[in-house]
Amino acid sequence: MVAIVVRRLLWLPVVLFFVSVITFLLGFYAPGDPVQVLLGVHATPDTIERLRHEYGFDKPIFIDPDAFGLAARELSQGKLPLNAIQQFFDTQYFRYIANALHGNFGYSLVKYRDQPVGELIAERLPITLQLNFIALVIGVSLGLPLGILTGLKRNTRFDFTVRTFTLVSISISLLALLPILTFIFSRRQDIFGIQAGPILPMVGGRLSTISGTDFNDCFGGLAPTLIGWGVQPENIPDTRIICLNQLPKLVLPILIESLGYIAIMTRQMRASLIEVLGQDYVRTARAKGLRERSVLVRHAMRNALLPIATILGLSLGGLVEGSFLVESWFGIPGVGALAVDALYAREYYIIVALVLIIAVAYVVALLALDLIRPFLDPRLRQVE
Amino acid sequence: MATLLEVKGLKTEFHTQDGIVHAVNGVSFTVDEGETLGLVGESGCGKSVSMLSVMRLIPMPPGKIASGEVLFQGRDLLKVDDEEIRSVRGNKIAMVFQDPMTSLNPVLTIGTQIGEALELHLGMTKEQARKRSVDLLKMVGIPEAENRLDDYPHQFSGGMRQRVMIAMALSCSPQLLIADEPTTALDVTIQAQITDIVKRLKRELGMAIIWITHDLGVIAGLADRINVMYAGFIIESASNKELFANPLHPYTLGLLGSIPRLDEAHKAKLTPIEGLPPDLIEMPKGCPFYDRCHYRTEKCGTANPALELGNVRHWVACWNWQSVQKQHAAAKSS
Amino acid sequence: MTQTTLSEFQRAEDSSRMRSPWLQIVRRIVKNKFALVGILVIFLIVFVALFANVLAPYGYDAQNLDAKEQPPSSAHWLGTDALGRDMLSRLIFGARSAVFVVLLVTTVNLVLGVPLGAIAGYYGGWVDALIMRIVEILFAFPGLLFVFMIAATVKPVILGWARANGLADLARSGYLDYAVVIIALGFVGWGGLARFVRDQVMAVKVRDFVLGAFAVGVPTWKVIYRHILPNALAPIIVLLSAGMGFIALSEGYLSYLGIGLQPPNPSWGNMMAENAGRYWRTFPQSIWLVWVPALILTSIVLAFAFLGDALNEALNPEISD
Repeated sequence: MVAIVVRRLLWLPVVLFFVSVITFLLGFYAPGDPVQVLLGVHATPDTIERLRHEYGFDKPIFIDPDAFGLAARELSQGKLPLNAIQQFFDTQYFRYIANALHGNFGYSLVKYRDQPVGELIAERLPITLQLNFIALVIGVSLGLPLGILTGLKRNTRFDFTVRTFTLVSISISLLALLPILTFIFSRRQDIFGIQAGPILPMVGGRLSTISGTDFNDCFGGLAPTLIGWGVQPENIPDTRIICLNQLPKLVLPILIESLGYIAIMTRQMRASLIEVLGQDYVRTARAKGLRERSVLVRHAMRNALLPIATILGLSLGGLVEGSFLVESWFGIPGVGALAVDALYAREYYIIVALVLIIAVAYVVALLALDLIRPFLDPRLRQVE
Repeated sequence: MATLLEVKGLKTEFHTQDGIVHAVNGVSFTVDEGETLGLVGESGCGKSVSMLSVMRLIPMPPGKIASGEVLFQGRDLLKVDDEEIRSVRGNKIAMVFQDPMTSLNPVLTIGTQIGEALELHLGMTKEQARKRSVDLLKMVGIPEAENRLDDYPHQFSGGMRQRVMIAMALSCSPQLLIADEPTTALDVTIQAQITDIVKRLKRELGMAIIWITHDLGVIAGLADRINVMYAGFIIESASNKELFANPLHPYTLGLLGSIPRLDEAHKAKLTPIEGLPPDLIEMPKGCPFYDRCHYRTEKCGTANPALELGNVRHWVACWNWQSVQKQHAAAKSS
Repeated sequence: MTQTTLSEFQRAEDSSRMRSPWLQIVRRIVKNKFALVGILVIFLIVFVALFANVLAPYGYDAQNLDAKEQPPSSAHWLGTDALGRDMLSRLIFGARSAVFVVLLVTTVNLVLGVPLGAIAGYYGGWVDALIMRIVEILFAFPGLLFVFMIAATVKPVILGWARANGLADLARSGYLDYAVVIIALGFVGWGGLARFVRDQVMAVKVRDFVLGAFAVGVPTWKVIYRHILPNALAPIIVLLSAGMGFIALSEGYLSYLGIGLQPPNPSWGNMMAENAGRYWRTFPQSIWLVWVPALILTSIVLAFAFLGDALNEALNPEISD
C-alpha cells in the first residue's frame, strides 16, 4: 500500500507542472502588452524597452540555452557551474512560478490599478470560502438524507417530486432565476437588502450591501477572544470575512448556492444506494436472515458512500471557486465577483491567477482523495 | 425419509415496464431429509426464481409471488411474518449463489460476514463466532484459516471464495442447502473440488441439498433426484439414474443429445435444440416446448400437459411421452 | 470455460429476441412527460435553426436606420434594436448559431475523446496513466474562466493567421468567431467522454466474446469498433446530451462576455449583452429582450437535462409496478 501512496505522490509534481505551464502560457500569450498599458499611449519606445527589461519580459520563456555556454566556461575554470544553473532557470516561466509561490501574481492593469493581484485575491478568498463552506455543509446535511429517503422509496410521489426539483436546480440558468427570487423576496427590502434592479450584474443599478468586515472587527473584535483561548497574536489572520451579524442578507445567497450542492448530493446518494441495493451481496445478506436495517447500515451504506466520498472531495476542492452570479448579484466581495470584474475588464492576469489557484486546489483535493480512498475501500489497498 | 420441504403450485411473476413476466408457473415438488435434488434447465427457465421465492428473496416491487404454498417444518413460508422468515434464512435453509465475487461484500472481512449469521441465529459472542468461523473455514479446506479470517473477499481466488460462501451458508448447520449454480463461474478443475467438498459435507452433516444448474454433467454426479424445468414449468422429474437412462420428455432428450459423451461413437454429431425458449410475457397457449419439439402433435399446441406418472417415480409433462420412450429405446439399441 | 461462454451467449440472445430493444427504449422515453417536453423544445430549436432563412422576416444584420429602437409592431413583432435590426430575426438566427456551435463542439469532443479514451482503456499501463492524468488536469481548471482565457488567447492567433493567409475578409465578417468558440469549448470538453470510453473498453476487453474475436484474428481497431463501442453507445449518448446543454450555456456566457460570437453574428448571448448594457434605460422593452434569449437558453439547458435523465432511465430501466 505504501507503494500506491508513493506512486500517487510522484505524479503530483508532474501534474502541477503541467497545470502551471498551461496557465503560464495562457497568461503569456494573452492579448495586450502590459508594459504598454502601464505606461499609456504616449510612452516612447525607449521607456517601453527599459520597462520590459526591468520586468524581465525580454528574458527567454522556458529555459535559457545560453546557460550551457556559461556552464562550459565555469567548468573550464574549475568552478561549479552554479551561475550557469541559475541563468538556466532565470526565465519567464520560472520567475512566474517563483513569484506565484510568494503570492505575487502581478498587478491589476485596468480596474484596480496597481493593486497586486495577490492582495486582491487574498482579500476575497476567505469570504468566498465561508460562503461556499456553509452552503456545502447545508448541501450535505440535507442532500444525503434526502438521497437515502428517495432511494428507499423509489417511484413514490415523494421521490418524483424531489427528483424533479433537483433536476431543475442543477440545470436552470441563474440568469432567469435570480430576478424571480428577487421579486419574491424584495417585499422586505430592508431585511434582505436587495433592490430590484436590472437583471444582469455589473450593469447599472445598485447591488446589496453585504460587506467583508475585518476579521478583528467582527463581533466587536474576535482577536481578544482568540487570544483569550490561547491563540498566539501572530497567528490571528489579518483578513476580511463575512460577519454573521449580516445573516439576514446572507440567507438568499447561501440558499441559492446550497441548492446546487443539495441537488448533487441527493442525486448521487440516491443513485448510489439504488445500485448497491441491487447488488448480489445485499441479496446474500438478506439470505442470511439479517434484519433489513442491518442490511442497509452494515452492508449497503458503506458501499454506497464510496462515490459520495469522491464528490465530497471534489466539492472541497471547489470551495475556492466563487459563484459568479450569486456573488456579483448579491454584491458579495468574494473571489467570484472578482472573477466577473476581471472578465468584463479583460484583466487577464487576475483571471490567470484565479485559474492557477483553483486548478491547484482541485489537484490537491484529488490527491487527498486518492490517498484516503484505500482506507475506505479495501479493494484499493493492493497493488494490482 | 421424512419430507423436509414441500412446494405446491408456486407461481411467481414480475411486473415490468414491458408487461408481466411469468417466471414460475405452478411449480410443485418435494425434498426429503438428506436428499439431493437437482434442478436443471436453461437460463431463464425459472429455476433460480423458484428457489428465491421459497426463501422470499424476490424483490417485491417488481416481483410478486402470486400463489402457492411452501411447507417447511409445518409452516407455509409464504405466509409467515417477516421475523419468522428471517429466522429460517441462513439458519434452517441456507443459500449459496453463483458468483462468489459479487455475492460477498467487498468492504467487510470474511470473518465479519461469516460471523454475522452465527451471532444472529445462534446468539454467539464475537469470540465464539470467531472460533467457529475458523473451524468452518478449515472444514471447507481453506489453509491458514486463522489468518484468513481478517482478509477481504478480493484477496481470495475464485474457488476459495466459493468455499467461503459455502462455509458461510453452513455456519448454522442448516437442514436444507440451496445451491444456485455454485460452480458455473468456476474452472472445471475447481468445479470438481467444490462438488467434492459439498458431497463430503453433506455426508458429514446430513443435510438436504437443492442443486441448481444448467449443466447435466455436473448434476449427474451429485443428485438423487432431478427436476427438469422449462419456461417456468417442471416438465420432468425422476431419479438420477432413471432420467439419464430413460428420458421421457422431448426437451430432456434434446438436452442429453446436445452434450458430448465419452461413451459415444467417435464421430457422433451433437444435436442442439433449435429455436429459443418462449417469451415469458406472452406465454403460448399450449405446451411451452411446442415450437421446438420434434414429437409435437396438434394437441400440444392447444393444451399444456400436466405432470403425469410415466414410470416408477418418474413424472413427465408431455402428451406424447410414449413416442419419446419408444424412439429413445430404438435409438439406444441400434 | 465452455459453460460460461454458452450461457453468456444465451443471455445475449435472450436480450435481442422478440421485442426489439430499441422499441422498448423509445417507449420508455415517451412515457416520461418531462422528456417529451424536452424533445419538443429541442426539435423546435433545431427546426428553427434549419429553416431560419425561411422563417425570419428579415436578415439578421439588415439594418434599417429609419426604424431604430422601435417597440413591437406589425412590421417588427419584437421590435428593433439600436441599429434598426429586427429582433425576432436575430433571435431566430441565434438558434442557428447555437445549434451550429453545439453540433460542432460535440463533434470535436467525440473526435478527441472517444479515440483517446479507447486507446487509454485498451493499452493500459503508462499510456492509460498519461491520458488519464491529462484528463485530470483538464478537469482541474475552472470551466468558464479557462474557456474564456483560451478564447481570449486563441482569438488573436487565429485572426493573425487569417490575415496572413489572405483571409482577412473572413476575419472581419466575424465568421472566425465560430472557430474561436468551437476550439475553446471543444478542447475543454472531451475529458468526460474519454474517461467513460476508457472505463467501458477496460471492462469489456476481458470479456469472453472479445477474446474470442481476437482468437479468430480480428484486428484490434475492428474489435474496438465492432464489439466494444456498440455496447457503450447508449451511455455515451446520455453523456453527450448532458454536455450539449452545457455547451449551449457556455456559448451564451462567452458571447455575453464578448469573447465569443461578436455582433453582427447572431447569438443569444451577445443579444443579451447588447440589450442589457446600453439600452435598458433608453428603451425599457429591451429588458424583456434580455429575458427572452435568457429564457430560451434556460429551456434548452433544461430540455437537454430532462432528455439526458430520461435516456438514462430508459437505458437502465427502473422497473415499476
